[in-house]
Amino acid sequence: MSRVSIIFCLILVHFLNNCLFSGNALHALRSRFKDPTNVLQSWDPTLVNPCTWFHVTCDSNNHVIRLDLGNSNISGTLGPELGQLQHLQYLELYMNDISGKIPKELGNLKSLVSMDMYQNKLEGEIPKSFANLKSLKFLRLNNNKLTGSIPRELTTLSDLKVFDVSNNGLCGTIPVDGPFRSFPMESFENNKLNGPELQGLVPYDFGC
Amino acid sequence: MVLPNLKISLVIFSLFFLILFPVLDFPLIVYSDSTEEVHALLKWKTSLQNHDKGSLLPSWTLNNATKISPCAWFGIHCNHVGRVNSINLTNVGLKGTLHDFSFSSFPHLAYLDLQVNQIFGIIPPQIGNISKLKYLDLSSNSFSGTIPPQIGNLSMLKFLYLSANQFSGRIPPQIGHLSYIEALHLFKNQLSGPIPHEVGGLSSLNELALTSNFLKGSIPPSLGNLTNLAILYLHNNSLSGSIPSEIGNLKSLSSLALGNNKLCGSIPLFLGNLTNLDTLYLRNNSFSSSIPSEIGNLKSLSILELGENRLNGSIPLSLGNLTNLDTLYLYTNSLSGSIPSEIGNLKSLSGLELADNELSSSIPHYLGNLTNLAAFYLYKNSLSGSIPSEIGNLKSLSNLDLSENKLSGSIPHSLGNLTNLAILYLHSNTLLGSIPREIGNLKSLFELQLGDNKLSNSISHSLGNLTHMTLLALYDNALSGVIPEELGNLVKLTMLTLSDNQLQGSIPNLRNLTNLIRLRLNRNHLTCNISESFGIHPKLTFIDLSHNNFYGQISSDWGKCPNLGTFDVSVNNIIGSLPPEIGDSSQLHVIDLSANHIIGKIPSEIGKLSSLIKLILRRNQLFGQLPSELGSLIQLEYLDLSSNRLSNSIPRSLGNLVKLHYLNLSTNQFIQEIPIKLEKLIHLSELDLSHNFLGKEIPSQICNMRSLEMLNLSHNNLSDFIPRCFEEMNGLLYIDISYNELHGPIPNSTAFSDALMEALQGNEGLCGDIKGFQSCKASKSHKPASRKIWVVIVFPLLGTVALLISLIALFFIFRRRKNALQTLQSSPRGTRGFLSVLTFEGKIVYEEIIRQRMVLMMSTALEKVDKEVYTKLIYLLEKSLQSRNFIRHSQVR
Repeated sequence: MSRVSIIFCLILVHFLNNCLFSGNALHALRSRFKDPTNVLQSWDPTLVNPCTWFHVTCDSNNHVIRLDLGNSNISGTLGPELGQLQHLQYLELYMNDISGKIPKELGNLKSLVSMDMYQNKLEGEIPKSFANLKSLKFLRLNNNKLTGSIPRELTTLSDLKVFDVSNNGLCGTIPVDGPFRSFPMESFENNKLNGPELQGLVPYDFGC
Repeated sequence: MVLPNLKISLVIFSLFFLILFPVLDFPLIVYSDSTEEVHALLKWKTSLQNHDKGSLLPSWTLNNATKISPCAWFGIHCNHVGRVNSINLTNVGLKGTLHDFSFSSFPHLAYLDLQVNQIFGIIPPQIGNISKLKYLDLSSNSFSGTIPPQIGNLSMLKFLYLSANQFSGRIPPQIGHLSYIEALHLFKNQLSGPIPHEVGGLSSLNELALTSNFLKGSIPPSLGNLTNLAILYLHNNSLSGSIPSEIGNLKSLSSLALGNNKLCGSIPLFLGNLTNLDTLYLRNNSFSSSIPSEIGNLKSLSILELGENRLNGSIPLSLGNLTNLDTLYLYTNSLSGSIPSEIGNLKSLSGLELADNELSSSIPHYLGNLTNLAAFYLYKNSLSGSIPSEIGNLKSLSNLDLSENKLSGSIPHSLGNLTNLAILYLHSNTLLGSIPREIGNLKSLFELQLGDNKLSNSISHSLGNLTHMTLLALYDNALSGVIPEELGNLVKLTMLTLSDNQLQGSIPNLRNLTNLIRLRLNRNHLTCNISESFGIHPKLTFIDLSHNNFYGQISSDWGKCPNLGTFDVSVNNIIGSLPPEIGDSSQLHVIDLSANHIIGKIPSEIGKLSSLIKLILRRNQLFGQLPSELGSLIQLEYLDLSSNRLSNSIPRSLGNLVKLHYLNLSTNQFIQEIPIKLEKLIHLSELDLSHNFLGKEIPSQICNMRSLEMLNLSHNNLSDFIPRCFEEMNGLLYIDISYNELHGPIPNSTAFSDALMEALQGNEGLCGDIKGFQSCKASKSHKPASRKIWVVIVFPLLGTVALLISLIALFFIFRRRKNALQTLQSSPRGTRGFLSVLTFEGKIVYEEIIRQRMVLMMSTALEKVDKEVYTKLIYLLEKSLQSRNFIRHSQVR
């Protein structure tokens, strides 16, 4: 059942990708945000592309590659439409008041190099779909209210260099494979984690 | 005043009624029932807000007349025996509830119309007592709560209008008892749940309108029994499933509106049997079939809206039979094939929207017959060929959008006949030739979008006639010549985009364009004095004049455009200096003045631009000290001051710019050390300090820039060892340290090991296990021969007796710790100044190498001995080497 719905979602996302511009995706994002300091005032949906909007950077083909909204007094939630920004490399939303779950559609951001969403009020689980972010080097989700376990799937992200999930409510064990071999323990502090996964044994996910 | 009187009289009448009722004869009963109605109405009136101001229902009052009757009151009608049978209080400003309305007091009431008031609260269940009610209209009020199931007791009811309220909950199935009901309007509420299948039993139903609720589930097949149904409005809900085949029985149906739901499946062929249909509104669902050609049988159809579905296949030719069609909306589907010429038969058509499909081949000439057409949208298809000149016959046209196709050829001159045209969008095609002079005849035109084509020649002066125009976009063409001076007359323009053309010469005087919000003239060959053509534009938010030949100075007038957010005049020939008044434009977010001839110092007033997120002053002739006030621009994300002649030290205050992701100070004349405070730039992705005269060592704090991916420190005077902490900068992808005076081991990290030789060369004495460099173990330094001999002798010796030395060292260090520290601290190394490495005695460098080599060897040897002793030893040694970051912290941990 869930597989069917995932496939359906993928088809839907694909469909949306084809018919919506990145400007629409960003405008949908704006509509979910409360923006008391008018950081998003320049986001005019009537423009041909969003490349002259403030805090949005495009490459020479007018594809959005950066979204810089760190420390901008923004509250509200993230939506699935963010996943349409297929060329996005930097998603900088750190130090805001963003709540709700991390949309699994962020896993569609195939070009993403850096995702900084630390110091927000994000809850729910780290989406398993992040395992699709093959270019990801920096993933900082620390100081949120994330729960659940660290998806084992993240061990396949061979480019992942910097990872921080400290100060959340994560549980289970810490992966030890792939890039997780080199992350310092500080990246995992202040969670309900049971310590590193014991290799060769049945993984224990008690309390998770 | 009224209230106490009323209460007293009520009491008296009630008593009178109670005592006398058993003995009264018939005429008196009539009299007293009428009295009951009077008092029921007055009681309700007193419960309403503002009833005592005298303005509400002034005729509803007890006067001194002997016979008490409400029949002459406003909105009240009585039957032949003087009983109330109709209450009609439409739009009289009633505010209150029905709580005090005594339904049981009106046994003869057949008609109750309270629409368009502000009555709130629930409908009391007692409403079910008005057994003779035929007409109930409570629409456009503020009723809430659920629709009481007792409504089902109103067995005579023919018309029930509860629309435009805030009713919630489900539609009560008891509504199925209303067997005489002809019209059921529940639209614009917050009703949820399914449509009860009992509705299908209402065989007299003529109008069923459940629009704009939150109804879920599928359309009940039982609706197919409603053979008298003319109007079925179920749009704007969340209905799912497919259209049941039973709907095909509704032969009387004239309007079928199912749009804005979640319906799927096919558009059923049987709809072609509903020959009375005049409206078929199915837009914004998930229908995924082709359009059945049977739709062409619906000869009465005037509105056909199938847009925003997933319809495929081609547009059926039979649609050409629908000669009464006024609106044909098939936009946002996956329709393919060509536009049938038969559409040209639809002479009544006023709206034709086929946009956002996969339609191909050319636009049929026959469409020129649609002389009633007001809106014609074909954008976002794959239409090719030229625009038929017959479009010029569509005299009623106000909106024409053919953008985002593959249309070629030239723009027909006949478009100049469309004098009612308000919007003309032909952008993103491959149109050739010049913009027809006749476009200047379109006096009603508001918006003209011809961008992203291959239009050439000069812009016609006639465009200056279009004085209503608010948007003129001709970007990305091959337009040449001079921008006509007449464009300066278009005083209503808010957007003017002429970028990416080959326009030359001077620009018109734009001082009168005071409504201008966005102006783009970038990437042309425009030549004029920038300080003369512009005035003060109070609404201007965005101006891009980049990549032209503008000259002159930056006028301080720009600072008086109070809404200017983006100011880009890069790649021009601007001269002069940055006016200090620039600091007054505190709303500026982006400044790009790169590649001009701006001279002088950066004024300290720049620190007042507190909203600035991007500052690019690259490739100018700016000189002098960088004002430390730059550090106030804490919103800055991007700072490029490269290729100027900026000198002195890099201000420490740049470390305040914590949002920076790009910092380029390269190719300047900065001296002294890299400020340690730059370590605060934790979001910096790219740092370029190359081609300066920066000296001393690379501060190890640079490793705290934990987002850094690209670091260029090449072509400076940096000396000493490369901090070992680079090995922990996992994200660092690219580094260039070439042409400095660095020596010692190259850190063991991918950024260094993947670096090209060019990125490391030009340093004296770097070593490491990298191709082209000496291994540090063999470490043949590039020192003169006499020193080489020393190394050759000492290193193998040290290697062989490492363990011995380490034990001795341990002992020695513990005893002579103080001495050692004092000696090291007073060594000449501490007193070196800028560029001093050039005169620095090689011997000390050499000793340093030896000392560090010893530590390395001892640490390797001791690693397997007592951990605690080892840690202490390393700590002491490290301290004695004054934060040389030589030993891997991970080892200590």
